Amino acid sequence: MTDSSLHMLLVEPETLLRRTVSLTARSLGLGMVHEAASVEAARRLLGQRHFDGAVIAVECVESEGERRYDMTLVELIRQGLTISDADMPIAIMADRATAELVKELQGRGISRVILKPFRAKVLLEAIADFAGKQPA
Amino acid sequence: MQAAPLPDNEAERLAALYALLILDTPPEQRFYKIVEFASAEFDVPIALLTLVDRARQWFKASTGVDVCETGRDISFCGHAILARDIMVVPDALEDPRFADNPLVTGEPGIRFYAGAPLVLPSGAALGTLCLIDRRPRTLDAMELGILATLRDLAVLELGRAEGDADD
Repeated sequence: MTDSSLHMLLVEPETLLRRTVSLTARSLGLGMVHEAASVEAARRLLGQRHFDGAVIAVECVESEGERRYDMTLVELIRQGLTISDADMPIAIMADRATAELVKELQGRGISRVILKPFRAKVLLEAIADFAGKQPA
Repeated sequence: MQAAPLPDNEAERLAALYALLILDTPPEQRFYKIVEFASAEFDVPIALLTLVDRARQWFKASTGVDVCETGRDISFCGHAILARDIMVVPDALEDPRFADNPLVTGEPGIRFYAGAPLVLPSGAALGTLCLIDRRPRTLDAMELGILATLRDLAVLELGRAEGDADD
């Protein structure tokens, strides 16, 4: 039996938001949303299966005296270091739009930037866009 | 105003509710997280997790109101537990069941109501996860799906022992 569902990766630390999005996506037929609460968990999932798109919450971290957004997962995907297509659609969730974020996003082929407050509906709309279909 | 009729399984429903030993228990974060999430997600001033008792509806968790119960005879949730689907009242002033309800004509001034019944696997509808606004509105298919999911998560929590939540 083949699996024709679209598989999306959602990387988001907040459990209730993550679970609401994954369960609702399934009930509305938007696809299977695989949940990861951390970059480490997402890395494992990216090494295990193919994804058709990803919604990734990125945190601003201090690195070598500079504030940078953690683009580890985006880099892994775009460099073809996962099982998924390197050009798969990616949406980024960030707390706010800053000059640092814009700099980090340049040239990385980000389909959409989602800013706080994060709402399940906005994430589901991004997933629906990836799936190329709208809920019934 | 039309008071809601009693469900056909009212005796079994009340027995299931009392078996949970949840009525009049202290506030719990796991339920408050759900109503606070719902209030923010849907941008409504009031979200409630209600349990419909014999003569009252009691709020296990609430945001936007400062009472912990109201009479069942004036409750919207008494109507919502009669069906399995989410009950949506886009404008209570236009609905003959609720137009002269004191919760509509007085505080908190309900105009919009959406209640997702908390149905146990046994079929007993104990109460609702509901959204209330003071202006008319409606929900689209995606929003109904999100409310149904939050309701499902609330039902799961009702079935868990206190402190068993994973977050």
